[in-house]
Amino acid sequence: MKAFLAFCVVLLVFGSVSEAKFDDFDDEEDIVEYDDNDFAEFEDVTEDSITESPQRVITTEDDEDETTVELEGQDENQEGDFEDADTQEGDTESEPYDDEEFEGYEDKPDTSSSKNKDPITIVDVPAHLQNSWESYYLEILMVTGLLAYIMNYIIGKNKNSRLAQAWFNTHRELLESNFTLVGDDGTNKEATSTGKLNQENEHIYNLWCSGRVCCEGMLIQLRFLKRQDLLNVLARMMRPVSDQVQIKVTMNDEDMDTYVFAVGTRKALVRLQKEMQDLSEFCSDKPKSGAKYGLPDSLAILSEMGEVTEGMMDTKMVHFLTHYADKIESVHFSDQFSGPKIMQEEGQPLKLPDTKRTLLFTFNVPGSGNTYPKDMEALLPLMNMVIYSIDKAKKFRLNREGKQKADKNRARVEENFLKLTHVQRQEAAQSRREEKKRAEKERIMNEEDPEKQRRLEEAALRREQKKLEKKQMKMKQIKVKAM
Amino acid sequence: MSTNSMSDPRRPNKVLRYKPPPSECNPALDDPTPDYMNLLGMIFSMCGLMLKLKWCAWVAVYCSFISFANSRSSEDTKQMMSSFMLSISAVVMSYLQNPQPMTPPW
Repeated sequence: MKAFLAFCVVLLVFGSVSEAKFDDFDDEEDIVEYDDNDFAEFEDVTEDSITESPQRVITTEDDEDETTVELEGQDENQEGDFEDADTQEGDTESEPYDDEEFEGYEDKPDTSSSKNKDPITIVDVPAHLQNSWESYYLEILMVTGLLAYIMNYIIGKNKNSRLAQAWFNTHRELLESNFTLVGDDGTNKEATSTGKLNQENEHIYNLWCSGRVCCEGMLIQLRFLKRQDLLNVLARMMRPVSDQVQIKVTMNDEDMDTYVFAVGTRKALVRLQKEMQDLSEFCSDKPKSGAKYGLPDSLAILSEMGEVTEGMMDTKMVHFLTHYADKIESVHFSDQFSGPKIMQEEGQPLKLPDTKRTLLFTFNVPGSGNTYPKDMEALLPLMNMVIYSIDKAKKFRLNREGKQKADKNRARVEENFLKLTHVQRQEAAQSRREEKKRAEKERIMNEEDPEKQRRLEEAALRREQKKLEKKQMKMKQIKVKAM
Repeated sequence: MSTNSMSDPRRPNKVLRYKPPPSECNPALDDPTPDYMNLLGMIFSMCGLMLKLKWCAWVAVYCSFISFANSRSSEDTKQMMSSFMLSISAVVMSYLQNPQPMTPPW
């Protein structure tokens, strides 16, 4: 009996142990099943991977079978159980173990899946994150432009300077033989010739000559093109313009008679007639052709009266004008020269502008922009023309009729001028009177003392009455005179 | 002596000194380019500094260069230098604040 009981206990103990083992198996099975359920949420995600992974499952299992039989025997058995038991859900259930085994193969399934889903797009690195010089191409352009501008400035400045010097060298002898003072900038204490041009700008050079019979002085202005400014250079490529030499001779009052006369290209004369005060007042007719006097068609004449034209167009002058017509822009002799018309503001009383007896010459340098220093020699005969004109202006005198006409013209112009200013002056006086009245009224109003107010008012009334009486007297006088 | 005075037109006793023409109306008549360019340069450099626009600052540099090239010798160099320095500072400040390359304004 006792032996039987002991055997039963032993059996029981052994059975429980074995059951426990099986329980473990069961538990593990359960655990695995729970694990499967835990991983159930990943079913959808990893379906594709699972479809491919079974292919790999076989291979790796074989490998692992070879390498790790003892350690993972249970796992293999369990896997096998699961595969037998749940073939339908085999893929999903084998997934967690697939993950463990496929540690080294993670990338391959992922990349293959991504190839199917998202095509790879290569994005350009933004320019500001690049470190190459090429991204700064605009800045390089700007700096190059600036350098080009500076280069052009230096080249243009030098060219203008060379042209000016060439002109002066050509003309120096002629000028020094005609004038005592050649070159003066007005700053020296003594009147000595500087013997060089006065640079006003990078493209404008002045020269003052003085000390000659007939004239007070001669101002020569070399107005070159703005070669130092690149914008100007580019603009000139569209529209060619010439360098110009402007000469202004100021005559003595006794050495020139009273007339206004101009000759030059038609375009220049039309412009001068509009701009210049004296030409617009005294030469009201359109520029006439100079063919009558033998001038080429390109030149026209503006004159105060026919006698002046007759007197001016002598053989030598005609010779000069014909031979150098291409270089002459305009020649303007006037005793009433006051410069261009000044735009007056309204309400300002005009003053008769100061006039000076002047001879003005504007010459174009040959080459129309593409000038070389040797072209300056071509202008020397024109300077001879200037000297000749000075002497001629001194010699030429109007006859009696001409003088009368000229005086009439000047008187007419002055009268017109005074009329204009008279009206304006009247208006100015009127406004002043009104202001005074207003000021008086204000004073009366502001006056606190009533007595004083009354007195001021009476005084104002009396003043007004007196004015009225005066006006009436004037009107009566005018009527009497008219009668 | 008499023959000399006949042939020689020069008269040393009649020498007049050079008087520069009154500059009241002349600068306006002559050429307003340097003044306009100066003003434009200042406006562009202020725009470039305030609005941090690089192209404004570069245009300001160009304007101040053009103004300098067209300037009259009687003009104040201080004004010219100040506008030039302002435009250069506008460019430098734009790049210090934002070292990226310039994008064209179009």
